[in-house]
Amino acid sequence: MIEYLLDAFLNFSLAFEGLWTWETMSLMALGVAAGLIAGAIPGFTIAMAVVLTLPFTFSMPPEQGVATMVSVMVGGLSGGLMAGILTGIPGTPSSVATTFDGFPMARAGRPGLALGLGVWSSFFGGIFSAICLMTLAPQLARVGLEFQPWDFFMLVIFALTITASLAGKNLIKGLIAGALGLLIRTIGEDEAVGMPRFNFGTEVLLAGFDFIAVLIGLFAFSQLLSDVRDPALARKSLSQQGTVKVRIDHIGALREIAHRWVVVIRSATIGVFTGILPGAGGSVANILAYDQAKKASRTPDEFGNGASEGIIAPESSNNAVEGGALITLIGLGIPGDVTAAVMLGALLIHDVVPSPSFISDEPVLVYSIFTAFFIATFMMIFLQSFMLKFFVQITKIRMYMLASVILGFCGIGVFALNNVTFDLWSLLWFGILGFLMRQFGFPLAPMILGVVLGNIAELNLARALAITPELTPFFSRPWALFFLIIAIFSAAFPLFQAHRGKKIWTLLYMPFACFAVSTPLVMMGGVTRPMIACTIVGYGIWTLFKRWQSDWELERVEAKKPRYTEG
Amino acid sequence: MATVNRDTYVAIFLLLFCGVFIDATFDIREPDYGVLMPSTWPRVILAVMTVLSMIYLIQSLKAGPSNPDCSTERSPGFVGFFVYWRNPIICFVMFFFFLWSLPFLGMLIGGVSFVFLLMCMLGGWQPRQLAVHALVAVFAVGGMWSLFTFGLEVMLPEGRIYNPYAS
Repeated sequence: MIEYLLDAFLNFSLAFEGLWTWETMSLMALGVAAGLIAGAIPGFTIAMAVVLTLPFTFSMPPEQGVATMVSVMVGGLSGGLMAGILTGIPGTPSSVATTFDGFPMARAGRPGLALGLGVWSSFFGGIFSAICLMTLAPQLARVGLEFQPWDFFMLVIFALTITASLAGKNLIKGLIAGALGLLIRTIGEDEAVGMPRFNFGTEVLLAGFDFIAVLIGLFAFSQLLSDVRDPALARKSLSQQGTVKVRIDHIGALREIAHRWVVVIRSATIGVFTGILPGAGGSVANILAYDQAKKASRTPDEFGNGASEGIIAPESSNNAVEGGALITLIGLGIPGDVTAAVMLGALLIHDVVPSPSFISDEPVLVYSIFTAFFIATFMMIFLQSFMLKFFVQITKIRMYMLASVILGFCGIGVFALNNVTFDLWSLLWFGILGFLMRQFGFPLAPMILGVVLGNIAELNLARALAITPELTPFFSRPWALFFLIIAIFSAAFPLFQAHRGKKIWTLLYMPFACFAVSTPLVMMGGVTRPMIACTIVGYGIWTLFKRWQSDWELERVEAKKPRYTEG
Repeated sequence: MATVNRDTYVAIFLLLFCGVFIDATFDIREPDYGVLMPSTWPRVILAVMTVLSMIYLIQSLKAGPSNPDCSTERSPGFVGFFVYWRNPIICFVMFFFFLWSLPFLGMLIGGVSFVFLLMCMLGGWQPRQLAVHALVAVFAVGGMWSLFTFGLEVMLPEGRIYNPYAS
């Protein structure tokens, strides 16, 4: 333990020393500022901002490049609240719930306090998340070292299934999108034996599609086109929607947060665990945290009319999400969401392949990510007040202008990836595909994860079959079985949600999930995991007993708020 | 035309797409080494995708015809379609022309022209707007081009208009 702490301290000092230069600090400050502005503009998601930063980091050393991208991400997470509170239009999907109480509070004459609550909740959520990242990622990496190819393959299948299941009633569309992403990744020479696939006789397709060009096309390009779809809205500026002249009330906000620290901790915990779950990003976490805060509040009626908890909860949770998403990226090499997928792309460009051995192989780089997360969170507090003035100027710009300029930037940035014009064509075709998929109700997150994880799945399948041609290890190895079981239950989750309170079988879903998940945990052996399995089985039996006691009475289901799954 | 759901068309398209790709897997050369053949993984994905597309087709057929009155606020017919999707279509077409003219105009002139024309087509052609759009296009694209060319030393396409020997 002491050795581990000493190692961590040494790596932390080395990472801090590497980042503590004028150049890196300036780039990080610029990154946070750019993220704050990008996050504040409705329609410009955090992932888009991080994607557009990627080409600038090519010439930087990996530590500096990743620190800049982390800064944009942290800034973006906090930027969404400015637009949400001042104009009533959330800057990013992860700040949707902030508008429920932030905008009414601003309209009631307390915009400074509303902004202060948002800014400081974001700060505390970010710090909580950074601490979790530093403590949990190494533990998860240790668990990840137990994984064999069969387990990794099943982990990818689980990640895709759970991401698709978050599409709610569009589960089939989500699964199709995930499969399409996997298929896109197979185009070009296969990585195992180097044979051309689906190149249809052309040479340009031999190298396949550049993953970043596909990502920018699917996500950023298609988003911009959706933003300018309505000609009237495209010609409007944001400042026409509300008042934007204000000063942040830091003291009042800190006092209020000190009274409601439980809300911060609870919401940040929700954020971290939502981030760890593949595919569930800030867009889900902020609604969940808001919902929990309302349920736990002594004055739930105040929610929606400017309740301070209604701002603290979503802002603490959405800033904590990325720490969670980075935990799985650093610990297992599996990105938790689209933004983490872009971070994975940035690492791959610098020839760094995240895996469970990432922390032991590249300790300084990993600790640079941790350190950058901390520093960027502190920078965000100082820059937020300053960027508020810029935000006022940005709100005067019309949407169509921003979209046109950013489309131009996308072109330059994507060309710079490999200096190949084909990447620009990929950007266009995948932009069209992404736009059509959005219009037809297909979620993009499973497809993006499919593109990112496609080769990981195939390589691990090849490795597994090279060890033994038998398929039984996919179902008999504890970790593979564990991921398979939770993949099946997560795929069935939308069905469970749709029938909850209506069908008897839904009462058995949770107990059966508990019994099923505990089986591989017992198979893992040792002391801790079988104990966890016993606790889970105990919970399952208790739930079953309670339901039997209530004579299998169906649960009461509250009316749900709209879901925001993209982003 | 509203006899089937629009999802039905998408499902049929997906099934055709799977068919084309399944056929293409038979063109993949199979080496006599390795355990996992290069065509196996794509075939697994395509098999899953075909099954999912069939479920999607059945679901869409079960859902019945879509109601054209409440599906979108656009007017019927080709003109209605174009009016509703005008801006995205303009963006696609302009980006296509930007890429098509890239070898000739290069990234700087092509990029500035693309951004300027796109802004004018989306925002309007009033004299004041023209001036603002020109300024924004020159400063934004020019600034980014300078940053990549001089700051990051990326060789962006020069274009034959500027350099006749450019590729």
